[in-house]
Amino acid sequence: MSKSRISAGPQAFAKGTGRRDLLKYTLAAGAAGIGARSARAQAPVSLTMAIWGDRTSEIAHRNVIAKYQQQKPNVDIKLEVTPFGQFYQQIDTRLAGRQAPDMFRIQYQQVGRYANGRTVVDLSPYLPADYGSAFMPAMWQAVNYAGKAFAMPYHTDTIALFYNVPLFEKLGIVAPTSLDKSWTWAEYTDIARRIKKDGGLPYATAMIWQTSNAYRWLPFLYQHGGRVLEDDFKTPLIGSRLGIETIAWTQSFFKEGLSPASTSIKSNEQPQNLFANGTLGMYLGGDWHMSFLRDNMTTPWNVTYMPRDVAMASDMGGNCIAVSRDCKVPEVAADFLKFLASEQSMRDFARDGALLPIRTSLAHENLQYSYRPDAMKVFIEQATTIPENLARTVGLPIWSRINQRLADQLDLAFTSDQSAETTARNIDAAIRVITGA
Amino acid sequence: MPYIFIAPNLLLFSLFMLFPLCYAMFISLHDWDLVGDTSFAGLANYSRLVTDPLFWTALRQTLLYAGGAVPASLALGMLAAVGLNQRMPGRIFMRSIFFMPVVVSGVATAVIASWLFNDNYGVINALLERAGLSRVNWLSSPSWALPSLIITTLWLRVGFCMIIYLAALQSIPRTYYEAARIDGASALQQFIHITWPLLRPATFLLLIINVIYSFHVFDLVFVMTGGGPGFSTTVLVQYIFNLAFASSEMGYASAMGIALYALILAFTVLQWLAGRRSEVAMGGG
Repeated sequence: MSKSRISAGPQAFAKGTGRRDLLKYTLAAGAAGIGARSARAQAPVSLTMAIWGDRTSEIAHRNVIAKYQQQKPNVDIKLEVTPFGQFYQQIDTRLAGRQAPDMFRIQYQQVGRYANGRTVVDLSPYLPADYGSAFMPAMWQAVNYAGKAFAMPYHTDTIALFYNVPLFEKLGIVAPTSLDKSWTWAEYTDIARRIKKDGGLPYATAMIWQTSNAYRWLPFLYQHGGRVLEDDFKTPLIGSRLGIETIAWTQSFFKEGLSPASTSIKSNEQPQNLFANGTLGMYLGGDWHMSFLRDNMTTPWNVTYMPRDVAMASDMGGNCIAVSRDCKVPEVAADFLKFLASEQSMRDFARDGALLPIRTSLAHENLQYSYRPDAMKVFIEQATTIPENLARTVGLPIWSRINQRLADQLDLAFTSDQSAETTARNIDAAIRVITGA
Repeated sequence: MPYIFIAPNLLLFSLFMLFPLCYAMFISLHDWDLVGDTSFAGLANYSRLVTDPLFWTALRQTLLYAGGAVPASLALGMLAAVGLNQRMPGRIFMRSIFFMPVVVSGVATAVIASWLFNDNYGVINALLERAGLSRVNWLSSPSWALPSLIITTLWLRVGFCMIIYLAALQSIPRTYYEAARIDGASALQQFIHITWPLLRPATFLLLIINVIYSFHVFDLVFVMTGGGPGFSTTVLVQYIFNLAFASSEMGYASAMGIALYALILAFTVLQWLAGRRSEVAMGGG
């Protein structure tokens, strides 16, 4: 497990200030009564922030920290970068040992679990009353638990359709150029069949739900008009006609050989590799794949919108930052998070990290991305189709357990010919056990 | 005085083995999602274990894996040892080649193996195609995923078995073979009546070690198949890992860990009793 520590601020603070010193100062400030909070904010403070991410993402985080430090030179923030595969195990273990970093990055889907265990700090006391209104509703919904904000949203990712340009030209396929003209399920299936039949490729398409990221199957369910849970957020709905039809449709890509069996949910195969080496003619991938394709794919590629059915929907990717219960100065951490989510910082961070902003004021702004701004525009538009109900569902504290059962059963459907009806029934049964419905 | 000598080892054993074991037993009696509070659950996690079909599936897959990997590791290890115990050119080099995977990390081996077995661009499928055969979905077919894991395990374990057998072979006195040859015994008869019985202690040791390894296998499965397709490679430790770190059910995962511990303990005791009985029989006592 590799881990690097990068200090973003003046070393003097990092070396000179330990937690014990900080505690002493805090106690002294506490004894002083009124003004303690402001005094503490000006004292030398050292914070740690754990993230995962590639080099681009790391640089983007470092840049924001450096800018914050120009305003608050007394605050030193050390960045800890850990590979995603081990990230949550490490955070959970450190939380259990009461040695968690002061701040850590989490996916929106994980907020409920941490908030429910009260392992992260409620940020509401540090935020103005209407603070959340500036963010996209799905994202603000996702960081809220029991009416309180337990993390700071700062970017999103989403999924759209990457395609091989020369192949599409050869087959005379014209990709949609606006969201309202995105392909229907029937059109998407038909194009996949044409790619396999006439394109000379072993497979047509794939979806990035591997390594048990089963929640990325949900956009299809919502596109078809379905949902995971009833309004009580307990009673399962996958066994409905809409759920069964969605399973059957996604399963058909494996049955027809349009998607490689190796891209099923429990696999470790990366569809972007198969797209880059010409095994696939298109695939549903994330905006964060663009730097990989820039470095590894010689054939020209482009991006269009996700297919749609009765509705449009895409995956709620992206991350927020939470303050751990082990943080001794949550008000300072919250101050940094407000800076991170401010309009200017979010604009810079999104541009540096090739990520999508989540402030509504930036949704239609030209952020001047340095690489493929045309493709980023597609992702930004696609991000507006993330259903709020989906955001709320995956934000439930029990979601990680549901996600695992979803992965188990969908994988059986995709690789072992388990029928859509049985799959839906098994998922519903597992959800009932988890929610107690 | 002897207590002083064993004290450091006992201290480390208590700290890193005994305490975690006892703590796991404690956790197994609770519901705990690792990051929140614990609540006492009594024996509920153990009763859930009995009725959980996935536990039995994982146990069956673990036994299948062990049933495939252990005898084959022993047989191939013994074959390699007997072969490389003969005088031949490049013998030391060949021994090194066989042993090399043992010193490489399991995760690194698994990553290499997953590239070799890759359905779409793996070397093995490319060779099969070149030979005019059809491609095999090694890691994404429920029928082939477990055999692929077993083959990788052999790559990893044969060298270890070979080294133990080599050491055992070299401790057999040459005079036994000379006497047998004078009596007119063939090479096969020498193997059956001298080599095989005298290798029994080494076989017993390797059997125990390999069965325990098979029950503990995780790194290969985690990297190569993630327990899929379906549940075809979901072995016990993989299931425990999923429960603990993907589903955040630490109490239930601990209960399963304790069950696995009891299973391995029972197997070891049975083997030890059987081994002792056969030693007594061989010793004529």
